[in-house]
Amino acid sequence: MPFQFANVLIFSATAVLFVFGSLVAGRFLRPDAPNREKSMIYECGEKPIGQAWFNFNPRFYLIALVFVIFEVEIAFMFPVAAVYKSFIERGEGLLAFFEIALFVGILAVGLAYVWAMGDLEWVKGLKQDVLAQLREKQAAPPAEKKAA
Amino acid sequence: MNNIHSLRFFWPESVLTVAVLAMLVQDLLVRRSPRRVGLLTIGALFWLALTALATWRTPWGNFPIFGGLLVHDPLRIFFAWLFLAAALLTVVIVPRSKEISSARLGEFFALLFALLLGMYLMASAADLLLIYLSIETVSLVSYVLTGFQRGRRRANEAALKYVIYGGVASGIMLYGISILYGLFGTTRVAGEGGIGAQLADVTSRLFLAHAFGGQPAAQLALVVAVVFLLAGVGYKIAAVPFHMWSPDVYEGAPTPFTAFLSVGPKAAGFAVAIRFFFAAFERQLPGGGYAQVGDLPWPAIIGIISAISMTLGNLTAIVQSNVKRLLAYSSIAHAGYLLMGLAAASTAGVQSILIYLIIYVLMNVGAFLVVIAVSRETGGEDIKDFRGLGTRAPIAALALVIFLFSLTGIPPFAGFIGKYLIFAAVVQRGGFWNVLLAVIGVLNSAISLFYYARLIKAMYLEEAIDQRPFRVPAVYTGVLVALAVPNSFLIFYWTPLVRWAAAAFGGSPSS
Amino acid sequence: MTSIGLPHFLIVGAALFALGMITVVTRRNAVGILMGVELILNAANVNFIAFNHYVEGPGKVTGQVFSIFVIVLAAAEAAVGLAIVLAIYQTFRTIDVQETDTLRQ
Repeated sequence: MPFQFANVLIFSATAVLFVFGSLVAGRFLRPDAPNREKSMIYECGEKPIGQAWFNFNPRFYLIALVFVIFEVEIAFMFPVAAVYKSFIERGEGLLAFFEIALFVGILAVGLAYVWAMGDLEWVKGLKQDVLAQLREKQAAPPAEKKAA
Repeated sequence: MNNIHSLRFFWPESVLTVAVLAMLVQDLLVRRSPRRVGLLTIGALFWLALTALATWRTPWGNFPIFGGLLVHDPLRIFFAWLFLAAALLTVVIVPRSKEISSARLGEFFALLFALLLGMYLMASAADLLLIYLSIETVSLVSYVLTGFQRGRRRANEAALKYVIYGGVASGIMLYGISILYGLFGTTRVAGEGGIGAQLADVTSRLFLAHAFGGQPAAQLALVVAVVFLLAGVGYKIAAVPFHMWSPDVYEGAPTPFTAFLSVGPKAAGFAVAIRFFFAAFERQLPGGGYAQVGDLPWPAIIGIISAISMTLGNLTAIVQSNVKRLLAYSSIAHAGYLLMGLAAASTAGVQSILIYLIIYVLMNVGAFLVVIAVSRETGGEDIKDFRGLGTRAPIAALALVIFLFSLTGIPPFAGFIGKYLIFAAVVQRGGFWNVLLAVIGVLNSAISLFYYARLIKAMYLEEAIDQRPFRVPAVYTGVLVALAVPNSFLIFYWTPLVRWAAAAFGGSPSS
Repeated sequence: MTSIGLPHFLIVGAALFALGMITVVTRRNAVGILMGVELILNAANVNFIAFNHYVEGPGKVTGQVFSIFVIVLAAAEAAVGLAIVLAIYQTFRTIDVQETDTLRQ
């Protein structure tokens, strides 16, 4: 019983040490040049103070959409990891591994496609859309040939 | 049968999975090439041919695969060919239509193959999990393809409506499936210990009946669950109460995809319905016929949906001015005719559905192809855009007349065979209600002549403002002729169809 | 004292289902409607997990497996749905479903 408490104690101590340790280490290693932008509260690129009801930048959605797909992939991986030992016992370890590798491989092709189409670039994300719209407009009147 | 052995019967699906990825990669490779439309079309045709080869080489058989999640049987192969035909027509039509920009053709083909994969799985799903997953695969891809033209307001609106109706319908279906799981303790539909086997065993009580407050309440829960499940299937085949999405989606989606949507997923929905009802609530007799198990009145439920679908579809179609919407309501009505075959709950009924589906692909894709050809030139899809088509594009106009008469079911044309077989199957089943259903069907065919004739009248009797003849791409003319010929002459020799449908369903008893 | 059993879970599931349906029918905001759809899917999930606890035999883990698939599909559906809502906003400048009703006119 005391041993289990000691376990928790060590975990807590490590956690506290880790936080302060990295802060102290950073204090010595980083260049010190504060400005207004930097000293603001961090809120994922949004203004932290002000009205909560405003339109988020649509670029967030693009990233979020891609993220959601790759995040839920984990939901499939965990159950397999949980029963993987029994696969090995039945001598089907390689088969299960191959199946999961295939699954991840298919997702990787999707990621590569998104990447190559430029949808992962923060700045380009919008430009691609604008370009596509321009291209569609271009089909109708030939005068508008100037692309960004 | 374990997973590795099952793979032998899973070649078509495996090829399709590779095809989806290959089309994406090819799209990236040829993105900057000036000949990308040609290259991508050749690529898509190549993968279709490979899938066809894999489908053709799949050994004949009738047994569950992947531990009973899927079933391999002639019915599945039958639907596979139907889907391949619809996909082939779409691949041929798309490059020359002006609705899919050439920059995104590769993406379109990749999504089309994903859709095809989902439909293949729908046709062989024998477990509620696979039924749900495959329907969702088809739905998700359909939403994207509906809103494919991102800048167009109508496309976006159609996609939004599709997502909302689709999401609700699949949610309701999922809730029904969860109740079925509670009632039977399994999601297997066919095979040992499946829902069908449990219902056939008179001594077995519905599982977990106490949770529903005893046996009668559990029986009620079963009816509710099946009706909920029908929401998902009915939504895929666009049957009334779940048809609301279809006119908007048909109008807003790019027309080549509308053509595919009206035949492919609809046929896949029927594949699911046939398999589910015949595996769960029917038992095959040694002679090849079917007898009902359990006391769920499913033919009655289907019959009512069928009667309402065709009546509502046909009556609403009369007042439409947009041809795509008109064909959407006509397609709702056709879901009704096809459901009639299911309501007959007999081997003959299902075989008539199969035959009608083949003919439906031939006539409906043809009708939509004429719409594509017209809107390509006139920029509109209203009946008034079809004025004077008889002189402006005689071949397309004549082909459309054939397709429309075929859709009505007028004797010399192929549609008549399908309708005749369905009505015959229902009447053969006997009883007042079945005969009444057939009478409603015949009356509806008469009503449908009204609005099809309106279109024909516009083409031949009304003057167009612009009298110039317009150009129909040679590919389109070829496809139109290829579709119109069987529609006109199938009546003289249709025994192969009957033989094929008989081989697909009701042959040997399922495992 | 009655212990919590299957009926309680089923009631929670049914309530979630009803709330989801009400959300879908009454909301005018497209994102709100999509949230209602998520509620419906999760109602089914509650049922699956609850039944799974009481089922014996070959279908023992089916409920859990099913609910994992539902979670993933719900995410995929949300992704597609939100992408379409985004496209709607770009063309209509609103996501009110009553104002994006231009078809059939």
